[in-house]
Amino acid sequence: MPSTQNPPIAGAAIDPPSLRPPIDDAAIERVQPSRLRERLEALKRDGCAILLDLGAVDYLRRTPRFDVVYHLLKLAPVRAGVAEVATPMRTRLLCGVERDEHLPSVMDLWKSADWAEREVYDLFGIVFDGHADLRRIQMPRDWEGHPLRKDYPMRGPARERAPRPAFANKSNVVAGTPPTGRTLEALQEQVKRARES
Amino acid sequence: MRASALPTTEVVSHDNTMVLSMGPQHPSTHGVLQIVLEIDSENVVKADPEIGYLHTGIEKTAEGLFWTQAQTVIERMDYLAPSSNALCYALAVEKLLGITDRIPARAQTIRVMDMELTRIASHCVWLGTHGIDLGAISVFFYCFDLRENILDLQEANGGARMHPNYMRVGGCNGDLPGGYLAKLDALIEKFPGRMRELRGLLQANPIFQDRTIDVGILTPEEALQWSVTGPSLRASGIAYDVRKAFPYTGYDSYDFDVPTRTEGDAYARFLVRLDEMEQSMRVVAQARKRLDEPGPVMIDDPKIALPPKETIALSMEALIHHFKLISEGFRVPPGDVYQAVESPRGELGYYIVSDGENRPYRVRTRPPSLYNLQALKGIAPGNLIADLVVMIGSLDPVFGEVDR
Repeated sequence: MPSTQNPPIAGAAIDPPSLRPPIDDAAIERVQPSRLRERLEALKRDGCAILLDLGAVDYLRRTPRFDVVYHLLKLAPVRAGVAEVATPMRTRLLCGVERDEHLPSVMDLWKSADWAEREVYDLFGIVFDGHADLRRIQMPRDWEGHPLRKDYPMRGPARERAPRPAFANKSNVVAGTPPTGRTLEALQEQVKRARES
Repeated sequence: MRASALPTTEVVSHDNTMVLSMGPQHPSTHGVLQIVLEIDSENVVKADPEIGYLHTGIEKTAEGLFWTQAQTVIERMDYLAPSSNALCYALAVEKLLGITDRIPARAQTIRVMDMELTRIASHCVWLGTHGIDLGAISVFFYCFDLRENILDLQEANGGARMHPNYMRVGGCNGDLPGGYLAKLDALIEKFPGRMRELRGLLQANPIFQDRTIDVGILTPEEALQWSVTGPSLRASGIAYDVRKAFPYTGYDSYDFDVPTRTEGDAYARFLVRLDEMEQSMRVVAQARKRLDEPGPVMIDDPKIALPPKETIALSMEALIHHFKLISEGFRVPPGDVYQAVESPRGELGYYIVSDGENRPYRVRTRPPSLYNLQALKGIAPGNLIADLVVMIGSLDPVFGEVDR
């Protein structure tokens, strides 16, 4: 069983993944945020028709702190009728981002970046400039904090001190008391009365 | 009916459009999907799906669990095809461990068989509920009868109907039980007849055709823009299938076709999925032949695989390995990897980062349902509200996966 404390926060020991030899079949590149947009446009022109995925990783103690990870899929050009897909290829683009740094949105290149960027914003707090509708997607609108950050506590004392959403602080809910007053004593009393009658 | 629907270009926002919330309790939204609709009489001007009602923080939870334990929660993402989640995760971890080549052949065969059976079971739920959405109630019972046979098989090898947790890092959890192959043979025998019935109920049904043909057309360009994968992409004329493009766990040694259509409408997606079920059974039948040969189903590495239960009482080493694996798990060398499989809904991918510890550092999922569902924003405008139900059904989203 996992302990009730927070798992140890690692991250300082991790090299940027692109410095190690790749173990999957994707071509791996690392770009600076300033050159990201340019590079993605070039890749799209080059035939990367699908933005497979857009996610992020928090390397807490590293600089830059976050990696935003783009996975692109290159397909053969679409011909009329049934397109044969010859030699598809994946490309992974990693972009290091500091905590307050913004990234350019790629919503205009791939429409699917819409929800993916909203999710990264929601769970990591990374802002994408130029996104038409950047708001929370998975968490409730009034949620505070970004849960997939490594310093966002899951459980343990730090979690108790973390900001709670408004709906969790309702005064009529008292921990440990069943809502309808059906306590064990009341039930035992009821059973006892039923037996006596 | 569709003749009254205005073409997309003519439906625009004006003073008399109405904003209406559909869901999250609407029965045809297959879970908890809310769509904020802007409508002009019966025509959809804009559809904005609201998701997140089922967000359970699975990716965050996985970061606090051992590599093996994390699989238990990960399997709960796509609850209609739990094996595909589990397999994709296991394959990714195996790549990080560098043991991909050491997985026993029998384990790989079982994995392929289980994946394809899961695909059929998942498509059965899709077909049944899609039929119900359109008022064809009886299809549901035929589909669930077939699915029940497959769930029986899953229960036999994994011990649970919904989340068998049978795929493990390094192989499968125990060999197939006695009597399994006989049951599988019976299913393979029964399947073509059942498929004929399913096709007979819907394929030439004029009401069904009227509701689905030319509804929710997804052009190939749009499909790529929205990152749609799986049967929905193949119904738009692009034959991309991860099993063929990036073969994993021995798929390149099986003989099967990738069904494709060019129309891109809801009916094409229906046909592609039906064809896919038959192709899946073709693969299952090929895997069945290979299963006659006995062999190990788990990697022979005491640092990763649990020792057989009976050896624990007899061997000190087995007891130590068992204790170490249960109490602190195994460590995975640092690195990152992207692994994808063809789940019943499309390309399911995991981007996993390890920092060398006994817990995953980051488990990023590429859920096919999330991207497929997003395409609704592109195909809904200009259609009738009643057709929206058809479009959601034909994209086959699973909300455990969309929201995670």
